[in-house]
Formats: sequence, structure tokens, C-alpha cells
Amino acid sequence: MTTTETIQEEQDFELSELDDNELVEQMHEDLYDGLKEEIVEGASILLERKWSADKVLNEALVEGMRIVGIDFRDGILFVPEVLLAANAMKGGMEILRPLLSETGIKPIGKMVIGTVKGDIHDIGKNLVGMMLEGAGFEVFDIGINNSVEDYFEALEKHQPDILGMSALLTTTMPYMKVVIDEMVKQGIRDDYIVLVGGAPLNEEFGRAVGADAYCRDAAQAADVAPQMVRERRRGVAVNA
Amino acid sequence: MTNVSHFKRDPGRGSRSGRGARVGRRRASGARRRASADNHATWIERRIPHFEVLDTEALELIEHNAETVLQEIGIEFREFPSALELWKSAGADVDGERVRFPRGLCRSLVEANAPREYTQHARNPQRSTIVGGERTVLAPAYGPPFVHDLDKGRRYATLEDFHNFVKLNYMAPGLHHSGGTVCEPVDLPVNKRHLDMVYSHIKYTDKPFMGSVTHPDRAEDTLAMAKLLFGEDFIAKKTVLTSLINANSPLTFDATMLGAATIYAENNQATIISPFLLAGAMSPVTVAGTLTQILAEALAGMAYIQLVRPSAPVVFGSFAAAVSMQSGAPTFGTPETSLVLYGAGQLARRLGVPFRSGGGLCAAKIPDAQAAYEAANTLQTSALAGVNFMLHTAGWLEGGLAMGYEKFIMDADQANMIALLLKGVDMSENGQALDALHEVGPGSHFLGAAHTLANFETAFYRSPVADNNSFEQWREDGSLDAARRANGIWKQMLREYEAPRLDPTIDEALVDFIKRRKSEFEDRDY
Repeated sequence: MTTTETIQEEQDFELSELDDNELVEQMHEDLYDGLKEEIVEGASILLERKWSADKVLNEALVEGMRIVGIDFRDGILFVPEVLLAANAMKGGMEILRPLLSETGIKPIGKMVIGTVKGDIHDIGKNLVGMMLEGAGFEVFDIGINNSVEDYFEALEKHQPDILGMSALLTTTMPYMKVVIDEMVKQGIRDDYIVLVGGAPLNEEFGRAVGADAYCRDAAQAADVAPQMVRERRRGVAVNA
Repeated sequence: MTNVSHFKRDPGRGSRSGRGARVGRRRASGARRRASADNHATWIERRIPHFEVLDTEALELIEHNAETVLQEIGIEFREFPSALELWKSAGADVDGERVRFPRGLCRSLVEANAPREYTQHARNPQRSTIVGGERTVLAPAYGPPFVHDLDKGRRYATLEDFHNFVKLNYMAPGLHHSGGTVCEPVDLPVNKRHLDMVYSHIKYTDKPFMGSVTHPDRAEDTLAMAKLLFGEDFIAKKTVLTSLINANSPLTFDATMLGAATIYAENNQATIISPFLLAGAMSPVTVAGTLTQILAEALAGMAYIQLVRPSAPVVFGSFAAAVSMQSGAPTFGTPETSLVLYGAGQLARRLGVPFRSGGGLCAAKIPDAQAAYEAANTLQTSALAGVNFMLHTAGWLEGGLAMGYEKFIMDADQANMIALLLKGVDMSENGQALDALHEVGPGSHFLGAAHTLANFETAFYRSPVADNNSFEQWREDGSLDAARRANGIWKQMLREYEAPRLDPTIDEALVDFIKRRKSEFEDRDY
């Protein structure tokens, strides 16, 4: 980047002075830079200009995060930057979510996530939660050390599309099967997509415990989750 | 005893020894080597200086900052009320589960009570070891849920793999300690597998070992089995277990670890208090910041042990790696973590307690060049840093997710070399070798000199993994790379393994105990 460009970028301007196209482009930039306040402001301006919440979501936010995702995958953006971007996305979503539900548009997705009983290692789980928020999900993080009852209570309360379970220990990861078995027993297994993750897991383990997918890292979870929600909704529509 | 021959004999050189006399001589010296290897070392006695990267001013600053962390931020002792009670009566400020310590409290508890070194007894007294001082004790990798070998690739570990690694470790002369969770036998129920694991360390080896820490009841079971093995009176007075207690960094100890630590400490068994830091995620991204956190966590944990039982053996542990800021994945064998390791060793020595760190750490998935480079970096750093108890010395792959059969052989080879490096320079008359220089003089060569003939067998380390032959010889031997050669070695070792004798009465008592315990409750996966 040349010096003149830097100076130009750093010049202050009002977001409201930009036309729609410029503003959307600027929001892509601001998401990339993880500027939460600017994203909230940009989204508000577009809504004032009578953009539908749906359009703001897709054209400004989702598209912006798509670019973030590509540059993260390619090693251009680093983890701390992606978390900032996800946090900015979360800010935008908070404004849009009530409007989206008013207009009856299905949200991108909801997820309940927590580490399993006996396991208090939550850095990975937190990363997945933040990345999913970055993908536009509403994430209900029920924290660490969750029993079957804790998971069930959260499912009942939040009615998510996805249940996410995480474990770092070989001695706690089998508890995922305890939870899924109980879901089957109570006849609610098929009401949710179950994603599992954590360092000692693999695909084979994910299948063995009866999860829908094993996610090897947070970035992959953020890729897989919206896909699976879309596919499931299509499937439900066809079946109906 | 055949079990250590692979690390003493030149493999694949048979084709070069054509003459009868030569073969005879080789056999004779082979037998001599095997006989002498039977009583191999139980630790490495260090005779070279420590490699140090921090001056006194820097050390004092880190110590000051660690006290600030302890005093102002504090450490959480989660879901373990008895620890909070102990801290209250010791004069710490307890706010919920957060404990803040007056400056110097933790340090004085450790300095006044914790032993500088301790003996860990093995069932074979010849294999008992001492942790601390100028000694280095090497133990295999700990914790991997997967195993890897060239034939079957990566898969979940089973009890059979566990037995295999205990056996291989028993046969490796450079490894002094049998370790603990050499791999996690995930084919067994979570609440019972510890019984089989502890039994394996008793049955298939006679080296000292580590206890279960995944639940206080499992620590109790380990102790019960140790009592059957050593006798109740013996373990009332002596330390027979060294067990791994990780901090849940940053600045947290959890109930599982505290529960196990408390039981071991109450029974005067040793614990390694290990801050587990992946810098960037679980500690600051800088070396000094990470060292500060390591010291604060280790101090709080070790001081807690001294509150439970003054003078219970405790080890200052440190497991420090860094996460990739690009992907979040752990990285190993990098220069920054080497600096942390050197610094942590200095901090532990100033405190006057044994130090645990290091190992053959790497992020490689297979025994390739990355595995070798990264592991060599940490192994050498650990050796030079003055590590007293080196966990993860052999087998570690993939950030500890996999235990590699070939990697184990390659690392065990490095372990042997570490012993020779730390032994330092022989300055005896024989070491000075003036008679050799007199005898040979200018020109000529030393290959036939009397001094060479008297010393050649032990003069240089001979690696069973490395191939130093001519290209043509190497090709005739199958053009194998190091991992392929290691593959042949571990298979041969397992074929030749012979279990050390275990008193049948004790064995029976242990088997009965395990059977009884397993029948007392349902299989559970948590």
C-alpha cells in the first residue's frame, strides 16, 4: 500500500454521505477491519433508506463476511482479526434480527453450544461461537461442563437449528454419545442438527456417537453450519 | 538380556561382515554390550552448565510481575471449596473462587517446604530414580488419543497400543521412566480404563510410573494398586508415583485436577504442577508475559500442595507452545517457545524445586522431516535448559494428538544422545589422549592406535536409526528412510520383548482388585 492511499483511507467522512453502493462497499471494508460501531451505523442508515433487513443482511453483511472468510482461508487475515470481524457482524445482526423475525424471514440459523460434562476447556468452543456469529448465526453459549439436562433445557428454551458440543479431553468426549443417545430415546434427535468438535475427535468418532458432522476447526464449523441448515430446510420443505 | 540390543548394535551391517573371525568377535562384543546394558542408568547426571537466556535483572522483574499477577489478578480454584478454605487460613484473600495472594506468600510456602529433589521408587529398586538437582529423567509422551504407524496410519489408540508403548519404553535404555497415559485406550470405558493403564505400568515394565488424574476416585485406585505392589508401610513413607496436574490456563485450576492433586499430596506422592500454555490463546504472545504467567500459576499450584501437606514432593512444570495467529493451531519447536523453556528453567532453579518441561514436541502428522526438526529443537532445548523431568520425550506427533510408533524409536535414539551430551567432556588422562597423539604423530592415522583400540566401542554414539553407509550399501539395504528403519526396529523389539518378573502373589492381588473394582459400578463414558 502506498503512502498516498493510506492518507486517503484515513480521511474522515460520514457514512451517511455515501450513496448506497459506496456504503455497502464501505461496510465490506469495515467488516474486514472489524469496526463494530461503523457496521451498526451503516446497517441503520440502509434501513432508514428503506432497504429491507433481508437485503442489508445479504448484500452488506453476509457478502462482507464471505470476503473475510476467503482471506482467512488464504492466510491473509489472522485469527484476532477474524474475531474482530465476527464481532462487528454480531453487532449488525443484533439490529437486523428483530426486523427479520417480524417479516417472517427465517434467520440464517440458531445454535446452542457448550462443552460437555467434566470438560471446562472452552477456548475452542468460544472460537466456534464467535465464528458462527460471524456467519450470521444467533448463538446461545451455555458455557462449560454441561449435563444432558443442561443441553435439553437449552434446546427447549432456544429451539435452535443446531446443537454444538465440544470436548478437549479423551475422558469427556464420549459424553457426547450419552447426550445424543438420550435425544434418540426421547424422540428429539431428528429435530436438530448435531455438530461436534474438539482436538481428540475425528470424523469416525463423530459418526460413532451419532452426530451429523464433526467440525475440525472453527472456520470449518462456520462453513458447514449454514450449509447444513439450508439443506435441512430444503429437505423439510420437500418432505412436507 | 536382549531387550536393549537395538540401541547398542549396528543394524543392517551384517552384509559387511564376511570373515569368520570378524563375526566371532562381533558376537562376543555384542554379548558384552548386552550384559552391560542390563543395569542401564536411571537418570542422566548433568555435567555441563545450564544454558540461560535471562540475566538477574530480567529474572527479578519476571518474579516481581508474577507476584503482581498473584496479588492483583489472582488464581481461580474452581468447584473445590476445601482449597479455598486452606487459602483463607493461609492468609490469602478469597473472593468467590478467586484467590488473591499477599506478595511472597506462595513463594515462601514453596521455598520453606517443597523438597529440592525426591526419590521416586520403582518396583525394581535398581530402576528407582531421583527427580531434581543436576539430574534429568526422561519419560515418554503422555495423553495422545490416537496412535500412528507406517503400516496402519492414524487410528484411535487401544489398550493393546498402550501395552505396546509400555513395552517399547521398557526396552529403551535412554528412557528412565514409564510415564503415564502413553496413549489413551479409548476402546475401554472412561471410568474403568485407568485400572488397566496402571496395571500395564506395573506388569509390563519395572520402571517408575505416573498415576491417574482424571478423577479423584481414579487417583485413589492408583494408590490402592501401588499399595498392593509396594506394601502399605512402604508407600506411607516413600514416593512411588509422580503424577501430572495441569493448570487450566489462564490462571485457573479445576476440580478434577485439584481433586487428584490433593489425594496424591495427602499421601506424600509427587505431583507435577504444569501451567499448560499455548501462547497467544492461553497466555500473552510475548516470552516475558508467558513466563510471568507460568511462574504465577506454578507458584500457586505448588504452594497449594504445600498447604495440603508440607514437604510433599512437587515439580515446577511448564508446557508452553504457541498458536499460529493465522489459523489458531498449536505450533512446536519454534524459537520463541525455546526461549520460554530456557527462562522457565532458570525460574525453577531460583525457586529450588525440580523442573519439568520439554520433550520431542512437534506438529507433524507423520515421522517426517518436520517431526524430526521440531522434536530435535525441543529435545535439545530441554536438555540444555536443565529440565529435571522430561515428559513427552518419545513418541509425540501432531501436537500430542498421536503417539507414533516410528517417532517413538526416533526420539528414543535422541534420548540416548542427550545423555551423552549432558555428560560433558571427559578430562581424564584417557580423555586427554596424549598417548594417542604421541603414538601416531604427524601424518599417519588414528584408526590402529592403541588408544583408539581401547576406546572405539564407546567413543561415539551409534544411532540405530541413522544410516551412515555408502549410497550403494544403502540402496542394497532397501533404500529405506529413517522412518522405515524405525518401523523395522519397533516390530523387532516387540517380538523380542520379555516381561520383567512380577511376584505372582502380587500380580494375583492386583488382578483381583481390578476385577472387583470393575464389578462395583456400571461402565460409564464420563
